[in-house]
Amino acid sequence: MRRVVITGIGVISPVGTGRDTFWSALLAGKSGIGPVTAFDSTNYAAHIGAEVRDFDPAHYVKKQQPAHMGRASQLAIGAARLAIQDSGLDLRSVESRRIGVSMGTTSGEPLFVEHYNDARKQSGDDAVDPEWMGLYPCHVIPTHVANEFGLHGPSIMIPTACAAGNYAIGYAHDLIRTGRADAMLAGGADAFSRIPYMGFARLGAIAPERCQPFDKNRKGMVPGEGSGMLVLEPLDSATARGAKIYAEVLGYGVSCDAHHMTAAHPQADGAIRAMSAAMKDSGVGIGDIDYISAHGTGTPTNDRIESLAVRTLFAEYAPKVPMSSIKSMLGHTMGAASAIEAAACALALDTGWIPPTINHEEADPDCGLDVVPNRSRQTHPKIVLNNAYAFGGNNASLCLGRYE
Amino acid sequence: MTPRVVVTGAGVCSPLGAGVEEFANALWSGKSAIVPSTRFPGSTIAEFGEFNPTPWLGNKGVRVLDRGTRFLCVAAQIALSSTCLVQDAASEGDADLGLVCGTLFGGVHSIAMFDWSGLMEGPSMVSPMEFPNTVINAPAGQAAIKHKLRGVNSTICAGLASGLHAIQYAADFLRFGRARYLMAGGMEEVCDEAALGFRKLGIASPTGQAHPFGADRDGTVAGEGSALWMLETEETARGRGIKPWFEICGFGTATDARPEGAAAAIEQALQETGVGPGEIGCIVAGANGSPADAIEARALRCVFGERLARIPASAPKAAIGETMGASGAFSAITAGLALQRQEAPPTAGFAATDSGLQLSSKSQPFEGEYALIDAFSCEGNNAALVIRLWKN
Repeated sequence: MRRVVITGIGVISPVGTGRDTFWSALLAGKSGIGPVTAFDSTNYAAHIGAEVRDFDPAHYVKKQQPAHMGRASQLAIGAARLAIQDSGLDLRSVESRRIGVSMGTTSGEPLFVEHYNDARKQSGDDAVDPEWMGLYPCHVIPTHVANEFGLHGPSIMIPTACAAGNYAIGYAHDLIRTGRADAMLAGGADAFSRIPYMGFARLGAIAPERCQPFDKNRKGMVPGEGSGMLVLEPLDSATARGAKIYAEVLGYGVSCDAHHMTAAHPQADGAIRAMSAAMKDSGVGIGDIDYISAHGTGTPTNDRIESLAVRTLFAEYAPKVPMSSIKSMLGHTMGAASAIEAAACALALDTGWIPPTINHEEADPDCGLDVVPNRSRQTHPKIVLNNAYAFGGNNASLCLGRYE
Repeated sequence: MTPRVVVTGAGVCSPLGAGVEEFANALWSGKSAIVPSTRFPGSTIAEFGEFNPTPWLGNKGVRVLDRGTRFLCVAAQIALSSTCLVQDAASEGDADLGLVCGTLFGGVHSIAMFDWSGLMEGPSMVSPMEFPNTVINAPAGQAAIKHKLRGVNSTICAGLASGLHAIQYAADFLRFGRARYLMAGGMEEVCDEAALGFRKLGIASPTGQAHPFGADRDGTVAGEGSALWMLETEETARGRGIKPWFEICGFGTATDARPEGAAAAIEQALQETGVGPGEIGCIVAGANGSPADAIEARALRCVFGERLARIPASAPKAAIGETMGASGAFSAITAGLALQRQEAPPTAGFAATDSGLQLSSKSQPFEGEYALIDAFSCEGNNAALVIRLWKN
């Protein structure tokens, strides 16, 4: 089976657009969280969000009409364009049927549901623009990406909510390693929407001011938006064209809690099995893991259960593995989150630096791990694990390695 | 050597019949589930009216499941019992048993209702009980809780090809040893939003009929339900003394709205199987009565040439409507049944075609081990799957 490497990184995020801006913001501990501007949050129980504020779709969407697609599609095309440019891959050099798109999302294109309800509230069903129905289903996001770049290979959306980016990157890696594709664009996208915001606010899950994963006084998560897309290629063709290789995708593992739709399993059953499966798939052991990119949403329960998972699985080795949450800076970019975090993992492997968990004031003894508080650290990691957990009990861990 | 993936069970929840035998008997008798809708007056839809899942699921925990999720949970219950994998209610469930569900709209109605209640009553009045149903993977996640499926749980969206992609995804996961048993297929409900979309986008047939490849076709009819296969490796099945029904042989996909795209997917599936067009005994097509059926027909003619007119073919959407993300799975179930019976089922209401396919309003006997299933959508999401009657 073929080895699969990451040769291009495209990120559009609340802390900035483009690989370098994104990475320097993370290493500097910059936060992308601010007041909600996408809608009027006056009547909501929370008022902060992690929005992408510097995004001009027309700058990225060239072949199609940006007005005739949703914001998640626009963000995905943007991140995909950046990733392709970054990779230096000449798309014409690969047979179009051998390049595809694998993506994840939580909400797909929820703004069309918002438009639909706004129109119905205003003037009834007749005011509904039929185009919205065609542009809502989430498979249109990878289809829009494929159409924009003329890619005719496998195109698939795996909407496993907040773990979706890992599922999508993992599957793209499967398609390449089994020879079903010769290059893949893989990642995730979500657009800021009142629908998840309303739900998280109603659950009391949104922090009032900032996101403090693993802190004793953490008060919740912060909904966000963005897109992270990676170019994945077989190792042999990447080296043959002299491509820059950020990292190797070693493997991944998925599991289901089958316990509760929104609450994590109390003994972290699924989270532990996803990490174990990822390491088994990758042929590595707990002693090989140099860094964990945490799911780390900042909610009291998530961080406690994720820490429990790591402590249980890594046992006496657990305190030695640095584990940070970049959601402290980016907020929770939903289906894009684990894709953006995978980009950060690849950059950590490439640069030798690991990003911090910011806003960390008081360690929570219930977590009890090294969360890389407040300052990035140069540790030269060789093998890293990227955790992601989702509604529906869907868990996915992705394992990346430094290519040497 | 790559493990061989086989089908060892199935579950169907369709207005044409809930249960594999019920579905098969209705399909082979030429019945159609397309009826004047009781829920959407003025439309014809292949729908359940009021759907009561309690005969399969009991009462416990059913209330929180939305319509589509109920279809999925019923199909899963049937599939699990067909192959002795129902989990004991007192157990924690099997960590090697999972579900891969294809869908197009997912739970869009739950999502729209949740947003609507926030809009009408204020964001602080939305129900925290309804929020979990607003993620697209909610049906698969709910089914995992209901049936104690702790293994791989994925939701797959690839338009009308979602069901076939889900089967392929599951087959790959089994080949990698990431699970022992995976149910795979699709689920779709016809809700307000889907019905409105069909009507307003001009997808719905103005005469209320679905005539796939028909010379008189004028659109399609929305359909709903869920169809799942149980997949495992041949070794696992042998180990537990289960005789496989079929083998998953080859898959192809292309994202390309031109006929070349659909043709490429079919060619890839044949190539991966290692057979030529001459070895396909029966074709189950994705055509739904839309003008775009012509593109699928052209792709099939391009691959099969003159031989196409001699291969018995069937278009089940004539009977079950366009079930969208579930349709590929319904086609796969149909193809499997056709191989078992060595007979392609009738295409309900079929009269005449200029497509070049061998369709009939009666069932058509054939001899052959292989069946081809193809899924096609005019947006460019194409997939094709070849299956074979089980042989050692």
